Amino acid sequence: MMRRVLFLWLAAVMGAIVFIIPPAEGLGNVVKIAFFHIPLAWVSVLGFLLSAYWGIQYLRTGEMYYDLKSSTAAKLGLFFCIFATLSGMVFAKLTWGAYWNWDPRQITIFILLLIYGSYITLRSAIPNIITRARTSAVYGLFAFFTVPFLMFIIPRFYFSLHPEPIINRLGRLDMDSIMAYGLLLTLVTSTALFRQILCYLLKKEYRKYPANMADRIGKDGMKL
Amino acid sequence: MPVNILSLANAVWILFKKDLLCEFRTGYAIGTLLMFALLILSSISMTFSGISLSAELTANLLWMIIFFCSMAGLGRAFLEEQETGTLFTLSIYFRPQAIVLGKMLYNIALLIGLTCLIVPLFMIFLHVDFQLWRELFAVLLLGDIGIGAVSTLMAAMLGGAQGKHSLFTVLTLPIILPQFLSAIHATMTILSGNVPTIQEIAYMLGYDSIMILAGYMLYSFICCE
Amino acid sequence: MDLSMSVELVNLGKKYNHKGLFQGINAVIKAGQCLGITGSNGSGKTTLLKLIAGIEQPSEGYVYMKGNRGDLRREERVGSIGMVSPQIAFYDAMTGIENIMFFCSCSLRRCSIKDAQEGCMRVGLDGYSDDLVSTYSTGMKQRLKLAIMLVFQPTLWLLDEPSSNLDAVGKKIVGNSIKSALQDGATVIVATNECWELGYASEHIILGECSVDSI
Repeated sequence: MMRRVLFLWLAAVMGAIVFIIPPAEGLGNVVKIAFFHIPLAWVSVLGFLLSAYWGIQYLRTGEMYYDLKSSTAAKLGLFFCIFATLSGMVFAKLTWGAYWNWDPRQITIFILLLIYGSYITLRSAIPNIITRARTSAVYGLFAFFTVPFLMFIIPRFYFSLHPEPIINRLGRLDMDSIMAYGLLLTLVTSTALFRQILCYLLKKEYRKYPANMADRIGKDGMKL
Repeated sequence: MPVNILSLANAVWILFKKDLLCEFRTGYAIGTLLMFALLILSSISMTFSGISLSAELTANLLWMIIFFCSMAGLGRAFLEEQETGTLFTLSIYFRPQAIVLGKMLYNIALLIGLTCLIVPLFMIFLHVDFQLWRELFAVLLLGDIGIGAVSTLMAAMLGGAQGKHSLFTVLTLPIILPQFLSAIHATMTILSGNVPTIQEIAYMLGYDSIMILAGYMLYSFICCE
Repeated sequence: MDLSMSVELVNLGKKYNHKGLFQGINAVIKAGQCLGITGSNGSGKTTLLKLIAGIEQPSEGYVYMKGNRGDLRREERVGSIGMVSPQIAFYDAMTGIENIMFFCSCSLRRCSIKDAQEGCMRVGLDGYSDDLVSTYSTGMKQRLKLAIMLVFQPTLWLLDEPSSNLDAVGKKIVGNSIKSALQDGATVIVATNECWELGYASEHIILGECSVDSI
């Protein structure tokens, strides 16, 4: 039932982006790519943050359930990160004429891709379940500590082609209100989609773990 | 607290001296690092002979050389101990925090020594002239501390992994990248004749402090199964 | 100086991935007492010692250690524990004496060259103490492990097959070391299948087939 509702909601949002949101001044219809790119980028960062949070929970409690959640969130985050990068590249090509030019935001998303990739490579190289859980949780934490440095330092050092963050430094919204509401809607939709896919993956992945986690996973796929 | 526990600083110093002694006797890491540095420098010099290099390119080249030398030589500190089994013995007699800080100190010292050799050779081979020496030392020191500390921690994490040596570079690069880019930018500023801003130095110092602190707190999770 | 330590194992268990190694281990060993651990190959004798040393975490249960001044947390146990095990390795680039002095320097009780040389003499390594460990045979390395214990004099001795790779003289040195350690009030835990080594123990744990017998 939930899945059907989500599917209809997703279809409605995509329809709204294509047909209802007006073209922007200057950028035209190309701006609609941003309505896909921004939620995908948001969700990939969300996956990363959740992975780091559940990694801390695993180190704190030692429960394998948190390792399962942490690794699943990371894998899903990587998946969305790849699409965010691709959509950003298409937008860059249409707007600035080149797919990739090491713009600061491109550097940061590339580094996020690297971190995800290294995390998953690390996990696949360690056979022992507990060592794997601890090591990847610690690596996730180290990666998390680099995030403030990436997010705040790099863009300030390098000239950026990227549009200013929507809520810019003066705290004002630099967008049409209809666009702003549209963007907010896509952010909520992508978060809901992320949660749904995460629950589904948790139900599939838990069988790889020796401990019986069926009761923790539950009917939904996730008990928070 | 029982009287017979050594203080952290003393334990770190003892471990550092032991690593230096073993390295002095075998010369594996120093030899590898030196030859690697010489090889890269001479290749770059031959490629760019006669071409004048911009500040950006020069700064990038310098830090690329330091980075690749680190990847070639710094993983050894932990990986060799894991392979020979001496890390097991160390874990019984010394605290985990002392082990990781001692290794960090050793790797940082190794890298600083290597940088002291690379920079003059770099100036000779590529006809580079550094004017602001004090600022350059500060940037090199902070960058080396960051790369040394993170390399040590990543090598420590590979104890239970297969394909350790190749995985080492894969793991270290994403974590070291912010410090790496900051160091390149600061060096570029110095080569252009300007002093790096206090903000830049503060960021590099902040990164080093956080990584060392994180390593100190998290190592006991990595070492003990 | 903490001269005595008692060790309590409460419901200790260990699992690796899917396999359970042992569970429900309970024992109390006081100062001057010896615990013997025995069992078939692969039953977890070495793992149990590693759990007591704090190198590995148990899957269930606890290891409590109590010194003169009260309970010792994990980080306080360093400096009071010494181990002889096939997994102990030395630095090949250092001499026997240097290895002894390095590992014994982990406690505040300073180890001088004289102490290290005396330790080498007691285990029969006096002619080789200034040679690099890379030149040592397996038996000599085993003796070096014992020398460290004799010089370091930890309050808790963890011995995993202490007389492996040793000749008759070496085995006698092991026996004498255990006896003198017990006389000095140290706590000794021996994991072995040799009957004569188990003879020093007042309590025994038999591992294997996931069952535990504490006599």
